[in-house]
Amino acid sequence: MEEIARFLRSYPPFDRLPDQVVSQIAGELQIEFVRSGQTILTRGGKPSEFLYIVCKGSVDLLRGEDQIVDTLGPGEAFGHPSLIRGQPPLVTVRAHTDTLLYLLPGAIFHRLRAEYPQFAAFFAASVIERLGYALQSRQAESNPALFQTRLRDLVARPPVSISADATVGDAARLMRAERISSLIVDQVPPGIITDRDLRNRVLAEGLPDTTPVRQVMSAPATTISADALAFEGLLLMLERGIHHLPLVDGDQIVGVITHTDILRRQSNSPLFLPRLLQRATSLADLRRYTDQVAEAVGTLMAAGARVSDIGRVVAVAHDALLQRLLRDAEAQLGPPPVPYAWLVLGSEGRYEQTLRTDQDNALVYDDSASSEDVSYFEKLAELVVGWLVECGFPRCPGNIMATNPEWRQPLSVWQHYFRRWIEIPNEEALLRIAIFFDYRQVYGQLPAELVLRTITQHAAEHRIFIARLARAALRQPAPLTFFRQVALERRGEQRDLLDLKLRGTAMVVDLARLFALEAHSNETNTIARLRAAKAAGVLSHEDADNLISAFELLSSLRLHHQQKQIALGLPPDNLINFHQLGPRERREVKESLQAIASVQRGVALMFQTDRLA
Amino acid sequence: MAFWSRFFQRIPPADFVRAYQAFPEPDPKLPWREVPYTVIDVETTGLDPRRDALIAIGAVNVENGRVLLKQTWYSLIRPPADREPSVESIRIHHLTPEELQHAPPPAEVLAELLQRIAGRVLVVHVAQVDVRFINAALKPFGGRLRRPILDTARLALTLHLNARWSGEQPHDMPDPAIELRALATALGLPVYAQHNALNDAVTTAQLFIAQATILADQGRSNLAGLIRAGGV
Repeated sequence: MEEIARFLRSYPPFDRLPDQVVSQIAGELQIEFVRSGQTILTRGGKPSEFLYIVCKGSVDLLRGEDQIVDTLGPGEAFGHPSLIRGQPPLVTVRAHTDTLLYLLPGAIFHRLRAEYPQFAAFFAASVIERLGYALQSRQAESNPALFQTRLRDLVARPPVSISADATVGDAARLMRAERISSLIVDQVPPGIITDRDLRNRVLAEGLPDTTPVRQVMSAPATTISADALAFEGLLLMLERGIHHLPLVDGDQIVGVITHTDILRRQSNSPLFLPRLLQRATSLADLRRYTDQVAEAVGTLMAAGARVSDIGRVVAVAHDALLQRLLRDAEAQLGPPPVPYAWLVLGSEGRYEQTLRTDQDNALVYDDSASSEDVSYFEKLAELVVGWLVECGFPRCPGNIMATNPEWRQPLSVWQHYFRRWIEIPNEEALLRIAIFFDYRQVYGQLPAELVLRTITQHAAEHRIFIARLARAALRQPAPLTFFRQVALERRGEQRDLLDLKLRGTAMVVDLARLFALEAHSNETNTIARLRAAKAAGVLSHEDADNLISAFELLSSLRLHHQQKQIALGLPPDNLINFHQLGPRERREVKESLQAIASVQRGVALMFQTDRLA
Repeated sequence: MAFWSRFFQRIPPADFVRAYQAFPEPDPKLPWREVPYTVIDVETTGLDPRRDALIAIGAVNVENGRVLLKQTWYSLIRPPADREPSVESIRIHHLTPEELQHAPPPAEVLAELLQRIAGRVLVVHVAQVDVRFINAALKPFGGRLRRPILDTARLALTLHLNARWSGEQPHDMPDPAIELRALATALGLPVYAQHNALNDAVTTAQLFIAQATILADQGRSNLAGLIRAGGV
């Protein structure tokens, strides 16, 4: 029955099995027809003897008498949780329409699970495991070294160490003898001294070669687990601006890797970006730099990086650019008269920017500023915002930029803003919060971030504020139909559209902000917020993990979509045609949206949002 | 004399026919899902059993109301030398004279067929044609197919009439096409590649379980009900 084999092959996980095997499976199937409303499996009843695959029609999964948990269509399977555990089904399965089912006998199903780990992983009991598996398989698919190599495997030799009391001369001679560029400094916690330190901190400073290592080493050294992935090592080096990374296994240092150890594996690496920025001498050079950052996003995506990791790479690169521009501006205008802080907001503040999007920034200066000082910051903001435009970051259409006097204020005014938004959570405040509560300080001596965080950290004490925020987070419900299928939109001539941002990632961003505030957490990154909420017990482990998986998945689809548009020379947007996705992706999107909807229902109960209406 | 004796004399049944006849008939009072069925489809060189030959047969079993793809059977049948397929028929079934020359002879295939369907209810789409061809082929061995035989085309007609009486369909609705693909599609069932006896048998089997399920819903849940609705 080649047609049945072909049918199976167009759906996960059968699409990953060898053709021959799927043909054999097709020959083992049984076909059953059930009428609309007929029960196929009963919750708590006889354990399933088959893996059921919907061929035509659809079935409802029910918990209780009429609570529909899910609706499955062609190519989707059920019965496996009961089959795997040999236990009564946890849900009742009822035909929603007249339905034709393919039944794969349990014995064959178990054999396939034993022989094909991917097959087994796909049917792992929970949605979260499946979503996790989907991400993982996407990464594995797109390859290479960066995401599969453990740092441990890059270590060429055991580490060489030196006492902190030894001289830098001893250190240099030991490095020469061992032909290495760094030494571990023996102490607890360990330090590190590199050839760079000898050059920059000893020779360039005119120190004698009798200087003790202790004086010029970096301690404690930044380390990473030996089992971390090459990419994680790369990211850490990029973030810290370092070139040597000791690997730890328990409390032992098992080796030191250098950035070239990793670069040898990946030629088009974002690690080259800092050098490019350093060498830039003109605005045109800086523009080229941001072009390179955009290209690195494509490279990383093709290499299978998680969107959250790409977001961090982009944040590091854009932060570096911003710092460079602010330093250049200070060089032009003279040193700042009073301390100030430059904040980035929104997606940039959340480390989630993957494209050059509109600017969202703000400036905070010390309360002691005179009216003359204020005009300095006005000029500074004009310069930097203008340069950013030249580098490819358009002005914010909502005018949320440091050039807008409303968003260029002394710290006390900012404190007042934040307190007012929390105490009087009207419509305008809720809009502001969605941007301004996702902020990071990228530059400046004024501890603005620290001061403002103490306000946001206590926001949860204002219950009306939290309830309003919860209601706002639910305003955009997960796009699912009554039958738990993905609800699609129509815009003009285009139908079957899904807005992956508005009706996807943004919903998770809003929920994560709410949960983080409730957990008194200072995180701004969506995934970090969800983890913090999980740790604080505000969010169940299952819900947190589901939301994280859903967020990664939707973000990843969105980025792939946008990169494709950019490659075609189209302006990137967030709209995908749902039916043009493959069956695997359709299923992943559906499960992600269901995960979000489930958390939204929980929020509605928890915060009693309906009582506020 | 020889002519007359051949005309009147009943040919003594061959051993494989006797074995087939010895099986008890299924109890008509059994719920339909408890009865074992074999759904068959044949390919022929034409439509006239006196001139044309049976050249392929496909079969699939239905048990517990489910089509068992593991229990399928397909065989070519070597046609007599004077009944080789015409060019037009080759266009439909894609079976060439060369292929058929290497096929087993009718006696062998018929013996296997009867062994496979013994004690089971036969299901055929537009039974008239297929049954006549098989009976013609069985005649030299002193046998013929036993009833009950169910015809999915008849079942379709009964379901159609039931729907009309119950008001689910308007009275001026034309009778359903009896073409297999059209019936399957109308019930939302998949159709497998046509004009291969095994694929057509599986398509017919799916149609049959759908029809039997619907009839059971209408109160005819045993074999007798199926026979009344679609027996030949």
